[in-house]
Amino acid sequence: MGWTRFFRRRAWDEERARELDAYLQMETEENIARGMTPEEARYAARRKLGNRTLIREEIYRMNTIGLLETVWQDVKYAARVLRKSPGFTLFAVAILSLGIAANTSIFSIADAVLLRPLPYRDAGRLVMVWEDASTYGFPQNTPAPGNFSDWKARNHVFEDTAASAFATLNLTGDDTPEQLNGVSVSANLFPVLGTSPALGRDFHSEDNNPGAAPVAILSHGLWLRRFGANPEVIGRELLLNDRKYAVVGVMPAAFIFPDRATEIWVPWQFTKEKLNDHGSHFLAVVARLKAGTSLESANAELATIAKQIEREHPDDNAKVGAFAVPLREYVAGDIRLAILVLSGAVCFVLLIACANVASLLLARATGKRREVAMRLTLGASRLRIAFQMLTESFLLAVLAGSLGLVLSVWGTQFLAALVPTGIAPLGGAGVDRRVLFFNVGVSMGTGILFGLLPALRISSLNLANSLKNGGGRGSVGAGGQRLRNMLVVSEVALAIVLLAGAALMIRSFVNLVHLDPGFRADHVLVLRTPIQMQKYDTQARRTAFYDRILEKVEHLPGVITAGYTTWIPLTNEGGATGITIEGHPEPAPGQTPIPNVRIVSRNYMKALRMKLVEGRLIDEHDGYGTQLIALINETMARNFWPGQNTLGKRFKRGGFPEKSPWITIVGIVGDVHQAGLDRPARAEMYLPYEQHDFFPPDYLAVRTSGDPMLVVEPVRQQVWSIDKQQPVAETMPLEQLVGENLAPKRMQASLLGAFAGLALLLASLGIYAVLSFAVTQRTQEIGVRMALGAHSRDVLRMVFSHGLRLFLMGAGFGLAAALALSRTLGHLLYGVSANDPLSFVGVMVVLGAVTLLACYIPARRAMRVDPLAALRYE
Amino acid sequence: MPKKDAPPLQGELLQGTLDLLILQTLVLGAAHGHTIAHVIEHRSEDVLQVEHGSLYPALHRLENRGWIASFWGTSENNRKARYYRLTRIGRKALSEQASRWDELVRAINRVLRPASE
Repeated sequence: MGWTRFFRRRAWDEERARELDAYLQMETEENIARGMTPEEARYAARRKLGNRTLIREEIYRMNTIGLLETVWQDVKYAARVLRKSPGFTLFAVAILSLGIAANTSIFSIADAVLLRPLPYRDAGRLVMVWEDASTYGFPQNTPAPGNFSDWKARNHVFEDTAASAFATLNLTGDDTPEQLNGVSVSANLFPVLGTSPALGRDFHSEDNNPGAAPVAILSHGLWLRRFGANPEVIGRELLLNDRKYAVVGVMPAAFIFPDRATEIWVPWQFTKEKLNDHGSHFLAVVARLKAGTSLESANAELATIAKQIEREHPDDNAKVGAFAVPLREYVAGDIRLAILVLSGAVCFVLLIACANVASLLLARATGKRREVAMRLTLGASRLRIAFQMLTESFLLAVLAGSLGLVLSVWGTQFLAALVPTGIAPLGGAGVDRRVLFFNVGVSMGTGILFGLLPALRISSLNLANSLKNGGGRGSVGAGGQRLRNMLVVSEVALAIVLLAGAALMIRSFVNLVHLDPGFRADHVLVLRTPIQMQKYDTQARRTAFYDRILEKVEHLPGVITAGYTTWIPLTNEGGATGITIEGHPEPAPGQTPIPNVRIVSRNYMKALRMKLVEGRLIDEHDGYGTQLIALINETMARNFWPGQNTLGKRFKRGGFPEKSPWITIVGIVGDVHQAGLDRPARAEMYLPYEQHDFFPPDYLAVRTSGDPMLVVEPVRQQVWSIDKQQPVAETMPLEQLVGENLAPKRMQASLLGAFAGLALLLASLGIYAVLSFAVTQRTQEIGVRMALGAHSRDVLRMVFSHGLRLFLMGAGFGLAAALALSRTLGHLLYGVSANDPLSFVGVMVVLGAVTLLACYIPARRAMRVDPLAALRYE
Repeated sequence: MPKKDAPPLQGELLQGTLDLLILQTLVLGAAHGHTIAHVIEHRSEDVLQVEHGSLYPALHRLENRGWIASFWGTSENNRKARYYRLTRIGRKALSEQASRWDELVRAINRVLRPASE
């Protein structure tokens, strides 16, 4: 039986009625048998049974659960009330659902990026370990193999430590040649991460030994794309960089490491010397903390080991520290702060929407005073009435929440598309159970938030006054008006905070868009033709390869010029080498200058339209065996030869006693933002590839007269006409790289802008609603005043001063809060200070103007009050 | 023993007694409300008049407790009637209630006739 009888009580009641009928008939028949007339018999039977309705009611009551019954009544009542004022209901549901949808969408992104566990076993214990080379401008540097080996051998805080290094693997053979994004790894990488191949076997530790038979494990994506998900791929041989690799495994679909672009893993085969190399820094190190070990103690131990390494290898590890960061932070990266800021912003939007609805409910409650007072007089409990009001709010919130959920499905997709692909949520974002719970929670919280105030107010009504005043007209509870004023003030304050934040973000974005990155990205095609070292094993062969490609490409129709470089801007944050400057004393440990280096072809500067500040560019005389020359950027000239004429100055590669030849500076070029548009340029030098190729120049930049994508095919054909085994990759317009670099800022600015716009709209609606209500409430007063000779100007002033007072108070609080909160935007800002006066003043002007507009309509209505009509109401 | 000419004890049944009487009536077999009332009245030699107004709520209460169960059947004179029968827990409850009643009666008797028996 239990509580379900509550829902069956209607059916039961009908049964009882039939049962009682049966009784009556039986009794009547018996009475007739005793000799009564049918009429008498029926009466006697009825008398005996008593009041049928009472019996039924008693049974019915047995089946009700008191509270549930009350709630159900309240819900029905609230639904009726809401249906009766569809305008209010629609408006309230619309703004609340927008607020809830925005919150739900942002939460589902935040959940996917920041909260949901990473697809590794016990991922909370995984950390990335980096070198701290801040002294050299690399605060989070890729570790050297020797440092990795020492950390691994000497620490007591990690269960195990693994490492990977990016490796470009050219897949050649039967199909189209292709460049794969690979990593070479220590064999224990997958066990450290707590995963294993879905198909085939994991690496064995012997696979790391030099000379072992090369093996490879494929990503799920590569397996699908290139091998049609054929399980027989295990054991097959691939030709990678002209070496045969046996495929031994395929990873699960959800596995990503170190980034989502990685398609293939091969065990590195480092020699002992290489594993003890403390000088070249190129690894990504991941470690698993021992159970119960804190990040702090791991960092303390890493610092100690780093000090030991520094003592043992002062030449290449001076002032190099070590530290660990949780893998989660590494994966979420820069987007973390942006998501937190946006979460705050949507929360504000929802608060404003709540304040708006609360204010509307308060206004409606004023109209209900008489009704409520009457019910209180008749004995209704205040709690009961407050409950009823809350039910109405809850019903609104539930409606808004459901609509918000629907909207958020769409909103989440929209947001997920905006999140830059490199950091897109692992496993994708979507509306799932957690998001659903969040949505329900937010909706309920919202209902309480905006419903509680009106509910408390109306249930604490002063009976005598309300009834005497006749409720409604002419009796604005001063308290009610004050509450609504407070709500509007807080709306304005919240809107100011949001608008200020949005203004700062938009200014940052505009700054970035208008920033001169030091090159012209339009009309430039970028491709990557990674050189096959086995085939082109001497510098002469490599130079010839580049020369021939450039020669052919530059002669294509539609191509203006073309140039090779090691890294096109925005593709590599590092790529640096230590130098010794002629005439400078031996630098203290850690003071060695380490400028960026780009190895380029003659016309690279022209292809990118870089600026020549002084001297000359590389020309055809700068070849192999002639005087070694370099171009440097302005920052390098300023940092290393401050206030001097730099042309003709000399330096050489490597540490102080280095025997390498001098390199002469022949030109100074403008700074290029290599690491990111919002990152300042480092000191940088450009060397001709005929003279150096210690880094291979793989990126080809082609300046075209028309659409750069039109020459993609011709350029590819030219490359393949020289070497049909040559992979061509990363083909895209340079503008796309710039766009991708701007994407996060664009997303943050546009979302924050949209939220601020919503806040502005809601706040102005709030001001409008409160003023308009106040005018309605004061119609008589205004009428009397006008009858007594007040001008419409005075009425206007009255309304406007009310509105402006609200605005100024809100603006005061808002400015204070905005100044305090804008600091949290931190590195999201670019080229604008967190308390930029222009942004703040602009925001005040915009909101002020909107306030005036919101005042104008009620004010005009007030001016048109007909004194006679108003007085007649009295 | 009440005398034959004593007025019926209508409406003065002790609370919970009606439940006990209903359960006892059903020991003999399933019955509908009308029969139950009559049986109680006859067996108490008309001393106990079941107020029909409280019979049906009592039946409902017992059914909610799971002590009796009901079904629609056909009465002696071919009418549809709702029959009640004792359930297993009802039977157990009856013996518990009956012994409690006996205890109660003995206790009251001890108070009313100290040492006279």
